[in-house]
Amino acid sequence: MIETMFGALFNLVSTPHIMGLMLIAVVCGLLVGVMPGIGGKLSIAMAIPFVYGMDMVAGAVFLLTLHAVNGTSGQISSIMFGIPGDGDDAATTLDGYPLAKQGQAARALGASITASGVGGIIGAVVFAIMIPVLEPVILMFSPAEFFLIALLGISFIAFLASGSKIVKGLIVGFYGLILSTIGMDPITGTPRYAGDMLFLWDGVSLVTAVLAMFAVPEMLSLATKGGSISAVSMDKAFSYRQLLSGVMEVPRHWWLVIRTSVIGAIIGMIPGLGGSTAAWLCYGHAVQSSKTPERFGKGAIEGVIAPETASNGKEGGSLLPTLFFGIPGSSGMAVLLGAFLILGIQPGATMVTKHLDLVWTLIWALVVGNLIAVGILLVSCRWIAVLTFVNGRVLVPFILIFVTIGCFVSDVQWQNLVVLVLFSILGYGFQRAGWPRSPFVIGLVLGGQAEASLHQALQLWGYSFFLRPLSLVLISMIVGLMAYAFYRNFRPGKSHASVELNT
Amino acid sequence: MNMHSIRKAVAGAATFAAIAATPAMAQEGADFFNGKTVNYIVATAPGGGYDTNARLVAEFMQKYLPGSTFVVQNMPGAGHLIGANYVYASEPDGLTFGTFNTGLIYGQLAGDPAIKFDLGNMSWIGKVASDPRVMVVTKDSGIDSFEQLAASKEPVKFASAGVGSASTIETTMLVKALNLPVEIISGYNGGDDQLAMRRGEVQGIIASRSSFQDFVNEGNAKIIAQIGGSETDVPQLSALVGDKPDAQKVIALVASQSNISRLTAGPAGIPEDRLKALRDAYAKATTDPEFLKKAESLGLPVDPKVGDDVATVVKAALDQTPEIVSVLQETLKKD
Repeated sequence: MIETMFGALFNLVSTPHIMGLMLIAVVCGLLVGVMPGIGGKLSIAMAIPFVYGMDMVAGAVFLLTLHAVNGTSGQISSIMFGIPGDGDDAATTLDGYPLAKQGQAARALGASITASGVGGIIGAVVFAIMIPVLEPVILMFSPAEFFLIALLGISFIAFLASGSKIVKGLIVGFYGLILSTIGMDPITGTPRYAGDMLFLWDGVSLVTAVLAMFAVPEMLSLATKGGSISAVSMDKAFSYRQLLSGVMEVPRHWWLVIRTSVIGAIIGMIPGLGGSTAAWLCYGHAVQSSKTPERFGKGAIEGVIAPETASNGKEGGSLLPTLFFGIPGSSGMAVLLGAFLILGIQPGATMVTKHLDLVWTLIWALVVGNLIAVGILLVSCRWIAVLTFVNGRVLVPFILIFVTIGCFVSDVQWQNLVVLVLFSILGYGFQRAGWPRSPFVIGLVLGGQAEASLHQALQLWGYSFFLRPLSLVLISMIVGLMAYAFYRNFRPGKSHASVELNT
Repeated sequence: MNMHSIRKAVAGAATFAAIAATPAMAQEGADFFNGKTVNYIVATAPGGGYDTNARLVAEFMQKYLPGSTFVVQNMPGAGHLIGANYVYASEPDGLTFGTFNTGLIYGQLAGDPAIKFDLGNMSWIGKVASDPRVMVVTKDSGIDSFEQLAASKEPVKFASAGVGSASTIETTMLVKALNLPVEIISGYNGGDDQLAMRRGEVQGIIASRSSFQDFVNEGNAKIIAQIGGSETDVPQLSALVGDKPDAQKVIALVASQSNISRLTAGPAGIPEDRLKALRDAYAKATTDPEFLKKAESLGLPVDPKVGDDVATVVKAALDQTPEIVSVLQETLKKD
């Protein structure tokens, strides 16, 4: 075992052409990840023609690295412009963008880049540890548990918008939940609130909603306010010392980093739970476990670390069912699975018995790829961060074009541009009125998941599904969380400690 | 060298290649594609069987239509309806065609108002695969044969994809027509159905053989009946249900579907010579040794048919008796 493990690492780093391919994959993955709307899924689909001629190991390492580092660079636009690349990154904008506004873009980037690298590595470690117990763990989660995990995520709204904003937060959250019912009804198969508009049959496009809720309002307010994103001038703000202080935030919050990475990896492991669930659940967890939750939304560094560790940690996790069951853990992995088949990798139980060396190579590729990505980003982010000091009036038109393209590319439906405009008006209204916007995304992301799995669980077991052992554990977690939220919101004489989310 | 002469040179070379490769009849049609961009529409998101197959077909059709450039465009959504409607509504100039789920035929038969196409009128280019359906039950279900399933006192739970998907329609139709003690649990997408069977929350499924062969080989489940296909290792469902005309008709409908999987079709009215060129290119593409090798490594079953052969099957499948249509409408009825 140990021999295979390190033999694989040695083979990986001592083969120049594989390392070269990995470097190309990291750079391409990072570049693609910067564009909002172009996820890992699309980048792999575009890269598949290139791997036809490669041998099995090189091709697999290339594609996996390309996919794994994709999320790492998405955080740059989230932090600097408040533009999330997708649903996962939306959680990073909540605290990342306020930090950039305070002129601390470098600190936020240092922390988030390091966090995602560490998250990716911990995800790979979880992968390695989980190999022997994979099957029983994955089989424990059924639609009943999917429903309760989605509900757990939704209950975090109570922490994201507590205090004086609790009512607004609930309204916005329910609004997101209502919109998540647009599309095919999973019970009757009839379109709901979609009529003849086929583009709505699969629900409201998440990328469109996220861009409209977060990116466009921030850009509009920047354009009307004038000045640059950062309130602090360039020469005072960016320094490598600040970047380093951001990097050091990760070891300072090591316990949070480990928890959120592991949560991310485990959520990634379970097919059927969306990737965005991981980032939001971990963000909620960071707020809920913090001694000073009032800082969140205004630039708490933990609010950047938690979702980034989670979204990179889940890559290691989602590779597990893909390789060992042939069942992809995420949509990106579904594409990767197709590519693996092209390369002649036949996923299944035989991966452990016959191809353990390949499995280890892939684990190491995750680790090394993440390290290279962290290195490249830490060195290059200085030039990117400069953009936050450019006058907003120059920047805004370009970014809005960027957002529009991202929105179109993700689903290739022109109608989504109309949705983008409508939601942007709504998002801007929320922002001007000081209403929280993150509960909206949580409602939209988790609502559909909750509904579909509730329906399946009821079909399978009726109401007795609530009595399944793991269901009981999850229910008690939800009840405990709600009780804690009540306690924190309504404890006498402490009302000033309530969370004021500005995002 | 100006653009004109470059074009001439390219055209000349392409024509030469075309003469060498194709019979004189398709000349004119094949020439048309020289220097043109062809949009190949895929009605699903990137990744997955349809997309992989489409990219492979496009790559090799381009090889056999000299001078053409194939662009694969994904147009996912609404259970392949967006892509199929788009293909049907596009200009019939031979430059736009694509692939979508054959299962849309059920919706057309039942008169789904969202369907804006007529499969019988489409310009059929070809199909790559036959994908016979199988009835699979898990090892833990204790069921060993179709007879045992049919005689089960307790309802047996079968997984299916989303409501309205071809998988759910086929399962519902068969369960109704054969009067099986099966309860259908819908909403399992992608590989979720196999996980659900491993977890034991469902005991069976009616699905395509290619997607369940490995699952069965690994010892998780057993195939108890098959619809369509030429394999002889499992009994055909039609031989198991006896002389029930309605059941036989439903089985025949599903079987005809399974024979035209991974199709390529364009809008009605593509000019005859261009369609001929496309079909010729398709025939060469799907028999290219390199294509076959890649398809095999991808686990894509290959059993190609070209042009009119496919159109005949589709038209035959669309010609259903009012009883079957009402069974379908009943199945698709929104309750």
